[in-house]
Parts: sequence; structure tokens; C-alpha cells
Amino acid sequence: MSGLIARIAFTVTLSVAAPAAVYAADPAAGKAVFQSTCSICHSVQPGQNKIGPTLFGVVGRKTGSAPGYTYSPQNQAANLTWDEATLDKYLEAPRTMIPGTKMTYAGLKDAGKRADLIAYLATLR
Amino acid sequence: MHPRSPKILTLVAFSVTAWITVAVSQPAPAPAVAHPLPQALIFEHKETLERLTILTKRPGEVGIKAREVIAVMKRHSAREQEFILPPLTLLPLLADGKVTPDMAWAITMADRIKAEREEIFNERARITDALNALVVAATRTHDKEAAEFAEAAQADSFSDAELLEPAVLLIGEYLRDKLPAGR
Repeated sequence: MSGLIARIAFTVTLSVAAPAAVYAADPAAGKAVFQSTCSICHSVQPGQNKIGPTLFGVVGRKTGSAPGYTYSPQNQAANLTWDEATLDKYLEAPRTMIPGTKMTYAGLKDAGKRADLIAYLATLR
Repeated sequence: MHPRSPKILTLVAFSVTAWITVAVSQPAPAPAVAHPLPQALIFEHKETLERLTILTKRPGEVGIKAREVIAVMKRHSAREQEFILPPLTLLPLLADGKVTPDMAWAITMADRIKAEREEIFNERARITDALNALVVAATRTHDKEAAEFAEAAQADSFSDAELLEPAVLLIGEYLRDKLPAGR
């Protein structure tokens, strides 16, 4: 009987723990994604815009609001806040979410990599 | 019926001959004329192609990724040479206030950019992706030259989108406004 209880307890623990394990984003892996995918156009230094705006402090920032960067009118008018959900959608297909955006990147299709990247971006403050 | 004087006959004969000669010597409706590009861009593109060609000969991953870049860039370059960049040759003349009817070809090109804008953007996105992949390969193999090339090429590509294409669209609109209707 105690064996059965232990098995049930283990199963319950697994089912509770599993989602966290599946969706745990890794900022270190996200940094690698940033370096390979984003750094050609974006800096993570405050105030340093490149082809794209600086990503320092991007999480929690309003669309089209990095000082000193000239955004597309569509990006300026999007009136969104960059949080986990909006960044996830945008990074998957920038042009689909904000048609007319200047971001010449086809999109990061791997959901895990997007989660890692967003976790890394959240550390930039 | 009055006999025609030899003088008149000669004149008519000459006119007919001249007309036939002109008609025959008129070239058949030619395919779209290729227009030159601004010198500055010819040099810039030549240098980019040369640097990229050197990278394509690198062994391993950098060479492979550089070849992928050159493939997407060549497709885009053909489009640029055909209709994106030629109207920019008119800029110095337009800046001097000179507008002539033989500039009308630039309106057609500008209209084509407008019509194919989404496709051009997607092509640029493919270039960005290919350049990103080149940077990854270059970083992995500590190839600083390849990484620097990719960053510079990305900046060039962006400058095309942010400066050159809008300038051509403006040239088109300016000419449409200045040239008589029906050109």
C-alpha cells in the first residue's frame, strides 16, 4: 500500500513539476541566441542604437520608444508594451505582428529559443 | 490630267524612299533598356562581391555560409540593377532643377518598386538570415574578417531599405508631378 501511495505521490509530483521543467527558459542559452541572431543589428548597451534599436531595457518598454532611434511609423503606432507575450509573438514573425516594421528578419520559429531569448532580454536592465 | 513634272516625281520618289528607309531602320520594339547605376554603387557592389567571393573560398562552415549569402545577394542584386537603383543616376540632374521627358523611365521603375515592396522586403529578410548564419560560423571559427564583412553588408542592406528605395520612390513621384501627363 505504501508503495502505491509513493507511486501516486511520484506521479503527482512529476505532473506538477513537468510543465515548469518544459517551459523553464534559460537566459544563458538566450544570450547565445542573441549573439548569433540579433547582435548583427542590435546592441545591448544602453543608448547604443545600431541598425535596430538597443535592446537594453526592452522588456517593459513601449513599442517605438527607444531614445534616438528612428522607428517605422507602424512600429511607433503599434502602442504595445514589450512583455513576454508580445515579444514571443513578434519574434516569431515580426512582419506579421507589425506589418511595415523595419526589422528585416524572417522570425525565430523555435519556441524554446524564443523563450530563452526573452529570458535573456529580461536581464538587460 | 496634268502630267506630273519630273521634279515633283523625283520629290515624291525621294520622300517614299526616305520613309521606307526610316521605317526599315527603326529598330523593332526593344526590350526594356538597361539603365546604368550610379558609379558609387557600382564600386560598392563590386567591392562587396569581391570580399564575399574570397569568403566563399574559405574551407568549412564560413565558406558554406558565405556561398549561401552570395546566392541570396545575387538574386537581390539582379533586381537592384534592373529597376531599384538606376533612377538614382538622375538625382544630380534633378537636384540642379533639370527635368526632361526622357526621364520618364524612372517613373516606371519607381512604380515597380512600390508594387514589389513586400517581395523586396522578404528578400532582404533572407539576406539578414544568411548574414546572421555567416556571423555564427565566423564567431565559431574566430574568423574576424568574415564577421566584420557580415555586419558591414547588413548595414549596406539596411541603407538600401532606409535611404535608397525611398529616394527612388520620391524621384518617381517628383517626375510624375513635373512631367506632362502622358509624358
